[in-house]
Amino acid sequence: MKDSRRSRLFLGLLLAVALVLITVDHRSENTPVFGPLRTIVTSAFGAVERGVSTVTEPIGGFVGALAGAQGSREQITNLKAQNSKLEGELSSQRIDKRRSAELQAMLGLSGLGGYKVVPAQVVARRASPGFEDAVEIDAGTADGIKPDMTVLNGQGLVGRVVRATASTATVVLLCDPASSTGARIENSGELGVISGLGANGNSGRRIMFRLLDSTLPIAAGTRLVSFGSQQGVPYVAGVPIGVIEKVEATPGELTRTAYAKPFADLSSIDVVGVVVEGPKRDPRDALLPQAPKPAAKPKPKPKPATTALPGQQAQPQIARPGVTNPETGPGNPAPRNTRPDSRPENTSPENVSPEDTAPENTAPGNARTTDRENRGPAEPVRGREGETSIPDDEAA
Amino acid sequence: MPRILLTTLLVLTALVLQVTVVNRLPVSVVPDFVLLVVIALGAIRGPVAGATIGFFSGLGADLLPPADHALGQHALVLCLVGFAAGRWGERWPLLTVAACAAGAPALALAVSGLLGDPGIDLRTFEAVWPMAALVNLLAAPVVVWAALKMYGPRPEKATAAAVPGWRRT
Repeated sequence: MKDSRRSRLFLGLLLAVALVLITVDHRSENTPVFGPLRTIVTSAFGAVERGVSTVTEPIGGFVGALAGAQGSREQITNLKAQNSKLEGELSSQRIDKRRSAELQAMLGLSGLGGYKVVPAQVVARRASPGFEDAVEIDAGTADGIKPDMTVLNGQGLVGRVVRATASTATVVLLCDPASSTGARIENSGELGVISGLGANGNSGRRIMFRLLDSTLPIAAGTRLVSFGSQQGVPYVAGVPIGVIEKVEATPGELTRTAYAKPFADLSSIDVVGVVVEGPKRDPRDALLPQAPKPAAKPKPKPKPATTALPGQQAQPQIARPGVTNPETGPGNPAPRNTRPDSRPENTSPENVSPEDTAPENTAPGNARTTDRENRGPAEPVRGREGETSIPDDEAA
Repeated sequence: MPRILLTTLLVLTALVLQVTVVNRLPVSVVPDFVLLVVIALGAIRGPVAGATIGFFSGLGADLLPPADHALGQHALVLCLVGFAAGRWGERWPLLTVAACAAGAPALALAVSGLLGDPGIDLRTFEAVWPMAALVNLLAAPVVVWAALKMYGPRPEKATAAAVPGWRRT
């Protein structure tokens, strides 16, 4: 029938070709046999991806906006068609604004560290199980990007460039299981290695940190910066990486294992910067966001006892204004108040605009959604109370 | 002949939309539409065409940026999946599509593991595979339905019709 000898032979042939391709490509890492082929196809697909991304950009943005904009949707239903049109314009503006805020934050961070960066935007992403965590950005060798350059965004380290064509480049993310990065604990010279966990790490929300000296205690809330490689290839020094969330008890092992949460949200990265030139000197811990007042006290003398129960301590110590604001912002206005003094050292002009735009972006949105959320559940309850209370009143 | 063009177009569209739109949605697990297109086409057109479509789609997926794995990994997986979908797709269509959609991520993980990719072990498999299989299963009916709309039901002599076609490409 269809399962004839020829079809089996054919399958065998194709499988053999695939295996040969794998073997040749796997064995010839230093002398790429398929280099020209890859370059040609990568350039061609890269161009198509750029084109499609430009066209379909609003789709992803729209989905994202829907997820976070309950308030806007209610408004649409309440108002007439004219308003809905205005709403569409507004939402696209909001996306632009968010993007510009991201860009500002990224430029602010790189300016602080003295990096020379090329800004870029993510156009494609690969995320199938069993394969690498990588993104494609819309800047390439024409912009001065070469393989093994550090990629960061406004929050921290994102990954490194592995391949670059004329107008696009492939970036392997920090959370890819194959990537490992030298990291240093803040305020000390203690070194360790960050490795990605891939899908094990809850899709980029967790990375593994191995401290080389197993005798040292680490507490949850300790923050990590990149150690930097020789001449900044592939990683420049001083880029914030993440904050330790959980320390694993590894008795008898040579290294101490901990799990960290990356500063950069690797599951939704948009605007990134590629460091084309590292700083003259190591910026040390200057790029880390300022620690909050309560967390700063226990840090200089980390007690060994705290390593035993790191989970509970993690939340108050993660003091990143950008991250904690959406969570704690609506509830208590404290983070917003601490925000201006949370970064006292950078009162330089570049700080003004991100500070101006970021709270404007997040705070009104939060305020609006919480207003709606509070009002939403509150009104029915009040209505019910009213209904039940009216007879009471009448009875009274 | 137009069917080959249609197939090529469909696969290329799936490839590009997968990396530019689907993978960038703000959710952690997304279905693999390239895989589902290969399964649907394999089930409609038979084992030989399925294996061919799978192989070339996989090759495309391997070359499509961003890529940082050995060339041929996807080709191997999708070739086998396309063949399997075509081989048993006529007798037990529903079961075959479901098994392929759920089994392909496992196969991909197994191939990665055998090639010695770092970070691929049993724990990864347990963490990744169930969700990947589930979203693939959820998205499979839509893709198969769309492919059936475009191609019509499987012809009586699918292999014979497909063989001259792929030879001329």
